[in-house]
Amino acid sequence: MRPENYKPVRHPPSHEYELYFGPNHPGIEGNYAIRVRLKGDVVQEAITDAGYLHRGFEKIMEERLWVQNVALVPRICVPDPVPMEESYARAVETLGGIEVPERAQWIRVLMLEMSRICAHLFTFGGNAATIGLYTNMFWGVTMRDLFLDIFEEITGARIYHMYITPGGVRRDLPDGVLDRLAAVLDELERKKPEFDDLFFENAVVINRATGVGVLTQAQALAWGVTGPNLRACGLAHDVRRDDPYLVYPALKFDIPTATSGCSLARMHVRRAEVEQSVRILRQVMERLRTVGGPVRAHLPNPLAWNVPAGEAYARTESSKGELAFFAVSNGGPKPWRIQVRGPSQMHGVQVLERILEGARIEDVAQIMFSLDACPPEIDR
Amino acid sequence: MSENAGSRNPLQLRDQPETCRTADAEERSAWQRVIGRFADNCRARSLFVLHYCTGCGAIELPPTITSRFDMERVGVSPMVTPRQADILLITGYVALKTLKRVILSYEQMQAPKYVIGFGSCTINGGMYWNSYATIKQLDQYIPTDLFIAGCMPRPEAVQEVFLELMRMIDAGKANAWRDYYRNYDHYLANQQALFGPQWHTPTDIVAEAKHYGLMGPGTTGPHTRLLDQHAEWALDRIPEDYPERGENERSER
Repeated sequence: MRPENYKPVRHPPSHEYELYFGPNHPGIEGNYAIRVRLKGDVVQEAITDAGYLHRGFEKIMEERLWVQNVALVPRICVPDPVPMEESYARAVETLGGIEVPERAQWIRVLMLEMSRICAHLFTFGGNAATIGLYTNMFWGVTMRDLFLDIFEEITGARIYHMYITPGGVRRDLPDGVLDRLAAVLDELERKKPEFDDLFFENAVVINRATGVGVLTQAQALAWGVTGPNLRACGLAHDVRRDDPYLVYPALKFDIPTATSGCSLARMHVRRAEVEQSVRILRQVMERLRTVGGPVRAHLPNPLAWNVPAGEAYARTESSKGELAFFAVSNGGPKPWRIQVRGPSQMHGVQVLERILEGARIEDVAQIMFSLDACPPEIDR
Repeated sequence: MSENAGSRNPLQLRDQPETCRTADAEERSAWQRVIGRFADNCRARSLFVLHYCTGCGAIELPPTITSRFDMERVGVSPMVTPRQADILLITGYVALKTLKRVILSYEQMQAPKYVIGFGSCTINGGMYWNSYATIKQLDQYIPTDLFIAGCMPRPEAVQEVFLELMRMIDAGKANAWRDYYRNYDHYLANQQALFGPQWHTPTDIVAEAKHYGLMGPGTTGPHTRLLDQHAEWALDRIPEDYPERGENERSER
């Protein structure tokens, strides 16, 4: 440090100090920071510092054609991009009055549930790594890679698929991909006891995560928490059930809940959700073998497509919670206004600040990962 | 500026004779050049990547690090602190707020250090070419050795770029970090254009360049003079009776 930049300040007594946690701290989820004020090793106050990933999505989407935005929306949330595409596409379809063919709806559900499994596997790995269990991280990421291979076969890309477009999906499934997906699901179920052994029945995890970062149901509702974090507080709220979209009413699945609202309960809910997603995927695969027809509705020339004026609000259950797009069209070729309701904004900023108070420094990273916030989606 | 404040000005240290300095390449003996060659050879086989997820690209790093692609088998491993890291991997778009931290991290890293721009966003802005919040070309702000094109680049591409960087280090060609010292004024000008004339970092790049014998024609210029001026302003702002750190601590007790 240059001496002239050193500005002496009056420090508080030495047992109380402030730590800047992030943005290149390995315990931080993405490019994000928390300023924690500590007394000993107990957090007195936590102030989140977001904005490292701000790209101004809502503004740059107004400057592009409706169809160009299809390529932009998955970039909002990196680990779980498919719900973004689905939500945006459904908002545009509502505005344009487009009917999605049945086969396309089934394919979309397939993509959504695969993406949910990928995101949850990633969270398992990250959460275990914050407790020091790196084996789990290696296994989770490797398992997720098998799903990414299926994504790549269907869409041509591992991470950003840009597969769900207004009016359906970009192209039909390749031959034999359902058999390969079935094999991957079998592999996941075969590995499940080993994952349980390593994480949910691990004494380290049980002792470290039980009763840590507790969120009560009243707090969760008051602070606008959705998704697995809300379900871990005992409320079975799920957009797939409460405001059904696509073909979800025709599918059989449970909404897993827990009661304690602690870190471990949130991870248990995610584990049960992966099981339910596998159950949904098996039903979808069965139907996809029989349902035929086109996968894309007829659209006007996308480069000169004036979407009819109006407003649309489309919400989707992503792995982080309730994700929604509010789109306003004034009848022009570009959106007049797009607003994204990102679920991570609620539990990644405000809720995190509140439930970190009184936690210990070694639990900060773990609480953050158990809430499963997605920094790119917070900042947008 | 008063004489009193001038005597405290650390920038005057630059004009003192250099007592400790590493030898220039042409000053080195043949033996030292052999040692340098050997050091490059070793350096290329043990690289640590700074664990800083600056953007989307961070999602492809866990697959690269873990079992399937396993970059540790080629000698690349993640590192948590900038001071012990060799590679700064800029994974994707860089927002202005992140760029400040990227520059701070880069200047903290020990030379020789290498920067890899990951994804189209670091090359020309990529998807965010018209975003008000991101920079468009990374190499205007910090010198970059290699780029990986694509959005998102695959783990194979990341591994390939690590292997290419190893080849370059082995051949003594990965020298972008020297450019930061030789043309510091250029990089500082671009940084100041974004962050304003008050922009400065805790690292004294000009003094480092002088110390290590890396001064070039573009090390100092109008923009580094602004930095000196800023230091003088900062000194002027500190009142004469400001308590020194030692006194402060004593009064606390």
